[in-house]
Amino acid sequence: MNIKAILSAPASNRMWQQYQSEKPQRLLPVGAPLVDQRLQGGIAQDGLHEFFGADQSDGTAAAAFAMLMALRLPETEAHILWVSGDKERQASGRLYAAGLAQMGADPARLLLVQAADMRDALRAAADGIRSKAAGAVILEAQGHARLIDLTSTRRLVLAAREAGVLALLVRGDAVPMPSAATTRWQVRSAPSLPLPGNVPGFATFDINLLRHRGGIAPFTARVTWDHGDRIFHDAPLSGGLSAGSAGGKTDPELRRQSA
Amino acid sequence: MRLVACDTAALGLGMTPGMALADARARVPDLAVFDHDPQADRQLLEWLADGCERYTPSCALDPPQGLILDISGCAHIFGGTEAALARDLKMRLRRHGFTARIALGATPDSARAKARFGVRTLNALPVQALDCDAKVHGALQRAGLKTVGDLAARPRAAFAARFGKDYGRTLARLLEEEDPRITPRRAAPVIQVALNFAEPVARTQDVLAAITHLAQQSAIQLQERGEGGRRFEICLFRSDGHVARLAVDTGTPTRDAALLDRLFGERIDTLSDPLDPGFGYDMIHMTIPRSEHLVHVQAGLESRVDVKAEKAALIDRLSVRLGPERIRHFHVGNSHIPERATFERPAQAGPPSGCWTTAQVQEPQMRPFRLFDPPQPVEVTALLPDGPPRQFRWRRHVHLVHSVEGPERIAAEWWRRPAGHEPGKGGLTRDYYRVEDSEGRRFWLFRHGLYGEGGDPRWYLHGLFA
Repeated sequence: MNIKAILSAPASNRMWQQYQSEKPQRLLPVGAPLVDQRLQGGIAQDGLHEFFGADQSDGTAAAAFAMLMALRLPETEAHILWVSGDKERQASGRLYAAGLAQMGADPARLLLVQAADMRDALRAAADGIRSKAAGAVILEAQGHARLIDLTSTRRLVLAAREAGVLALLVRGDAVPMPSAATTRWQVRSAPSLPLPGNVPGFATFDINLLRHRGGIAPFTARVTWDHGDRIFHDAPLSGGLSAGSAGGKTDPELRRQSA
Repeated sequence: MRLVACDTAALGLGMTPGMALADARARVPDLAVFDHDPQADRQLLEWLADGCERYTPSCALDPPQGLILDISGCAHIFGGTEAALARDLKMRLRRHGFTARIALGATPDSARAKARFGVRTLNALPVQALDCDAKVHGALQRAGLKTVGDLAARPRAAFAARFGKDYGRTLARLLEEEDPRITPRRAAPVIQVALNFAEPVARTQDVLAAITHLAQQSAIQLQERGEGGRRFEICLFRSDGHVARLAVDTGTPTRDAALLDRLFGERIDTLSDPLDPGFGYDMIHMTIPRSEHLVHVQAGLESRVDVKAEKAALIDRLSVRLGPERIRHFHVGNSHIPERATFERPAQAGPPSGCWTTAQVQEPQMRPFRLFDPPQPVEVTALLPDGPPRQFRWRRHVHLVHSVEGPERIAAEWWRRPAGHEPGKGGLTRDYYRVEDSEGRRFWLFRHGLYGEGGDPRWYLHGLFA
């Protein structure tokens, strides 16, 4: 990260330094103990977090993980703002409310903003962050987005910090570029622990912390989403949730997962 | 071919509308003739009517060449008398090169007849001013009745028996005994406030300042009525007669001038063709065509954020900038077909509704995170024709199926089809499979049609799980 570039930028320099010097106050725990331990409590609740798909077809995993992190917030009246462009909707399909409801979200809280291009989308996201109407703002940008650079992400970071809003940036099918995000993650769909009858199980992700502005070292973890309690668990699931699957079939499965 | 209209010079040469073109050419060989374009005439008339809305909100077209303005209660803005208003209108029209005949009357019919026949008093109008059949006019003239005054003096019943009951009504309207009202081009707004400028304003900041002022004025009126506006329209009257219109919609009734100021600022910023003030605007109107009941809420002493108001403000703001159809909420659809089970509606149209089905705690999600609409065709290999998929190819990539759940059978909505109750016409049944491939990605596939339902069933990818 080119810190010189940031400091030499004229706009809101002082605010930026102030931001640099302060420690994030509120942390949003992921829920999985191993991950939270590495993160020293969780991710900043008033920061900007980037989620990259590990692979061309992991855009959905990145988007889903961002949505689930937004669901980790304590439930309020405020909106979850989902901002995307025409391009994203065309490429990766639309959000399916019936599925979201089963993931533990309340679709009535979601406000969809479909911007024509990235310029409008960035502006809408910034507006959403600054207004007190949204608890979390998710901006989705597919592929190469020229407008998402140091300047625009820093603007989002400062707005999120000031408003105390969780800002999430989903980058499906994109190469990480310099940005001012608080954390950057790479997300990949992971094999789930099959349920009895070799049935696909709960949503599971391989998450990879690429960089952390607070200086936490990169690490990799596998987490599973528990939609009942709206929390991530370390995978493979422990406890009673998947107790049924702890039969004779698990051994090869575990081997497959650890491979 | 015949002449439809002539200008003053042509009239001076003896041309009249309705004359055959050959006759006209015979008299004046170098006559300049243009094709009649009723559409363009109509557009011009509409444009004039737009400009006339500076005088009154209720203005009606009287094709092919007339405009009827209802100026009841509007004269005080233009020097107090109706004659002053008419003079102002005539002067403006003359500036554009129009010849106008303006007449004032208590009913639309009398004003129109006076303007058309150039007569000052009703009694002097010829019988042709009556809006009836030419036969009636002929019969009246044969009877020696030349003017409307002649008719007014005679008992109506006998005439009605001779010429039909429409005669009486037409005459009453002409004589200002019955007022039929005009049908204005736009519905009369609930509230209209106007601002006149002695000197035209051209800068956007000035226009915005004027809008703020108008918003405050309308807020007072709205407050008196206990209402809030849902739609606000601004008409900017340019001094050269052009009219620009801007409108903002709000999701909830409001009379907050600061909010309107912001919304109109946003609207002006996002116009696809920017405002062209030309030589400036000399009048600005704000009309509120839609309003709803709004009770005054007392603000609490504690400075708590009103999330509801903030939400409405955000939705309005984004809707104005990006277009209302781009800001949406989810709603529950009344169908079990997956793509119809939920739908999206503009957030300004109303709050989200419906009851969502959540998953059992011990069960994974049965519905995907993302849905493709339309579903994407895939090539599937299965062990048995009607068995679960073993591998499939999607977007040029082969996925090996590791675990699978299904089928979840979803029948078509036969009751929506014309002959759906008959066997084989109810639409194809879908067999859905939840599939995880060897790399851990989860898909929602379905086979469209059962074997035996006719045709060769095809496979589709309908959604992606988290």
